[in-house]
Amino acid sequence: MASNKKGSGKAVSSIFKRTEFTLSVIIIILFILASSFTKSFGSMYNLTNLTKQGAIVGVMAVAQTIIIITGGIDISGGAIAGLGCMTMALLQTRTGTPFFLTVLACLAVTTLCGLINGVIIFDLNVPAMIATLGTQTVIRGIVKLLCGGLNVTFLDERILGIGTGKLFGVVPYLALIWLAVAALIFVVLKYTVFGRSLYVMGSGMDVARLSGIKVRQMSYKVYSFAGLLYGIAAIMLAARVGMAQPGTGEGYDMNAIAAAVIGGASLAGGRGAVTGTLLGTVLMVLITNAGTAFQIDPYILDVTTGVLIIFAVAMDMIKSRKKA
Amino acid sequence: MQDTILKIEHVSKFYPGVTALNDVSFEIKKGEVRALCGENGAGKSTLIKCIMGVEHNDTGTISMNYDGKWIVNSNAMEAQKHGVFANYQSVNIAPDLSIAENYFLGCQPKKGLFVDWKKMNQESQKVIDKFEMHVDPTAKICELPIAMQAMVTISKISINKDIRLVILDEPTALLENDKVDILFRFVRELKAQGVSIIYISHRMEEIMTICDSVTILKDGTYVDTLPIEEVTKDKLIAKMVGREVSDIYNIRHFEPGEELLRVENFTDSKHFRNVNFKLHRGEILGFTGLVGAGRSEIMRSLVGVEKREAGDVYVSGKKVDIKNPSDALKYGIGLLTEDRRADGCALGLSIKYNISMCAMDTISKAGFLNLKKETVQAKKHSKDVNVKTPSVDQLVGNLSGGNQQKVVIAKFLCCNPDVFIFDEPTVGIDVGAKEEIYKFIEKLTEQGKGVIVISSYLPEVMGLSDRLIVMAQGNITAEFDKEALKTLTEEEVLSKASIEG
Repeated sequence: MASNKKGSGKAVSSIFKRTEFTLSVIIIILFILASSFTKSFGSMYNLTNLTKQGAIVGVMAVAQTIIIITGGIDISGGAIAGLGCMTMALLQTRTGTPFFLTVLACLAVTTLCGLINGVIIFDLNVPAMIATLGTQTVIRGIVKLLCGGLNVTFLDERILGIGTGKLFGVVPYLALIWLAVAALIFVVLKYTVFGRSLYVMGSGMDVARLSGIKVRQMSYKVYSFAGLLYGIAAIMLAARVGMAQPGTGEGYDMNAIAAAVIGGASLAGGRGAVTGTLLGTVLMVLITNAGTAFQIDPYILDVTTGVLIIFAVAMDMIKSRKKA
Repeated sequence: MQDTILKIEHVSKFYPGVTALNDVSFEIKKGEVRALCGENGAGKSTLIKCIMGVEHNDTGTISMNYDGKWIVNSNAMEAQKHGVFANYQSVNIAPDLSIAENYFLGCQPKKGLFVDWKKMNQESQKVIDKFEMHVDPTAKICELPIAMQAMVTISKISINKDIRLVILDEPTALLENDKVDILFRFVRELKAQGVSIIYISHRMEEIMTICDSVTILKDGTYVDTLPIEEVTKDKLIAKMVGREVSDIYNIRHFEPGEELLRVENFTDSKHFRNVNFKLHRGEILGFTGLVGAGRSEIMRSLVGVEKREAGDVYVSGKKVDIKNPSDALKYGIGLLTEDRRADGCALGLSIKYNISMCAMDTISKAGFLNLKKETVQAKKHSKDVNVKTPSVDQLVGNLSGGNQQKVVIAKFLCCNPDVFIFDEPTVGIDVGAKEEIYKFIEKLTEQGKGVIVISSYLPEVMGLSDRLIVMAQGNITAEFDKEALKTLTEEEVLSKASIEG
């Protein structure tokens, strides 16, 4: 109910601001509570850990945001990241491929997976949820075939360095990557024709088409671009875990979707922003982390996160109902 | 007093920043057909939502005479239980269900635990026959043309047994003339049974034909109620807009210039066959015909939204290949579609975003938008077409129908096409906004642009056009030039429009 002085109807920006304002308040309160009442939460070690926990899901949530803005959804993100991670690990451990090429291969594979999603969704007209459920299952299968169901260890040290390194000994590289990706997409969404076209597509494919937006190209681009971001998440996963596992990335897609939705992205399309997603991610990680510091049963924390997701979507629905 | 059915007393309704209704009071008698008139934003829709119990008035009471007792319907269910029914302005039905299922939504005839499909379809067929719709009751709504869908929402009312008050909100906005007659028959039948009707329409001719009295709202306030005998078209419009509007179709016409667009041999066996026409600079070309005549389909095919089997397009004499609307805009052809809420504008985005969406290359460099330039441009164009809004950051979904249509026009102004195709440009738009849109069309032709106007509303399309093409079942059945249009009657056009193919 804060800051509705104008009264001249809701401007686009003020809706975003309201979600982000609420999230910030909750985050600050949680932060203060946890650091005043527990010893472990406020420690440097834990705070660094917190950003590391948030970084990977954060990157994937940003990827999810651009897809959700178009009215789509992608539940294959975790699997794609898993495939990227496995591709890179196998190339590094079993072939003599130069390091940077293995990284490139990871990004290429995930981008291609994204493109395939785009083709299935746009050209075969399969609903995004089902299409990516399918590709998710296929990709998981491929990953297991590639590694024979076994972990692939002894990755290149440079990868491991990303996982442990810190800028000036304070800010983890993983967190930096997260912020860089978020900043990039923030600019893309706000200042580029591509970003704007995503919002238009999300408001209605026919509206976009009749306005001269090439919706086929755009569909390919957005899913491929998300794929590229999954590739970055894949590298981060490898760096953090230190190996590629058959199940690498599992569960991340759902958390990423949740973070975007908590951050105000509407599954109906046309609405969403990186700032909201960023805060949504922080809140999700914070609940688990602060909960652990308070020594709350982790199973109860799952329940809390679930309730939060439902609450966020319900708020979104109430808002759009008011609009209609 | 005993024959008053509805009493509206001091009703006000506020939305954030807007007073939708301000101390409105009037009564409606049993068996009366009452027209409710006013420009868009006058509060008609809000008032009927309050009567239906869908929205709640903030002050005042709306009470209904139910067998001598005065009751207040506190929600939509109660209103329906007490015999209040409406067709909603935005065709509000379950698109994936059949006509019969929509008719009996929530009140299906049952055989034991199961739905009695046979009875349901038979009953539906009776209604379909009564409204001369010529469709199968099992046809899915989404597969019907939009006019037929509108007819379904109207005919659905007749399913109910205990009908006391019927609200018809723009029932003819999407209907052809012959269907309007069927609607009027239904209205008269209801009236004879003592049912009261609130009839909302922007078409004066209809109000004069079917209504007993007229209540006028303006800017959310009650203006007057007049018996129909005392009403003239000009008087009514004057009360609605607060000024005299003599002949809104009376725009200036210009001498057509060189050929701008030529369509040759457009064929698509499903929708249209062997269609040829030309459009010149400074010319308004009208298209009319009954539903399913193929007018909209031709235009959608022309701009590349839908495919066709054969046919060529020439722009300024040169043959062009238009694969999608993006190509069409490149060659200077913009289509403003029939259903602006569905594919004309993005309701969830701001006016600014809507205006710039089809000409983003004009406000961007290397893929980056110049937000300052965008705001300046949006402000300029929204002013050009006179969108009534405090700010271009307002969501388009919050605007009235007329203002939404103006936003769509402003959007195309940005990419500055030579050919403007308006498909039913004034459906559900009030007189004031209509006049502005006509003036705008006049301005376009003055600048030497070509304009195609598709309309089912004959006074509009006959009044505006320099040349009029009549279609029936996918074929062009007549073309009238400027001279012929001077003496043309609506009956002549209708006879050409109803030729069997």
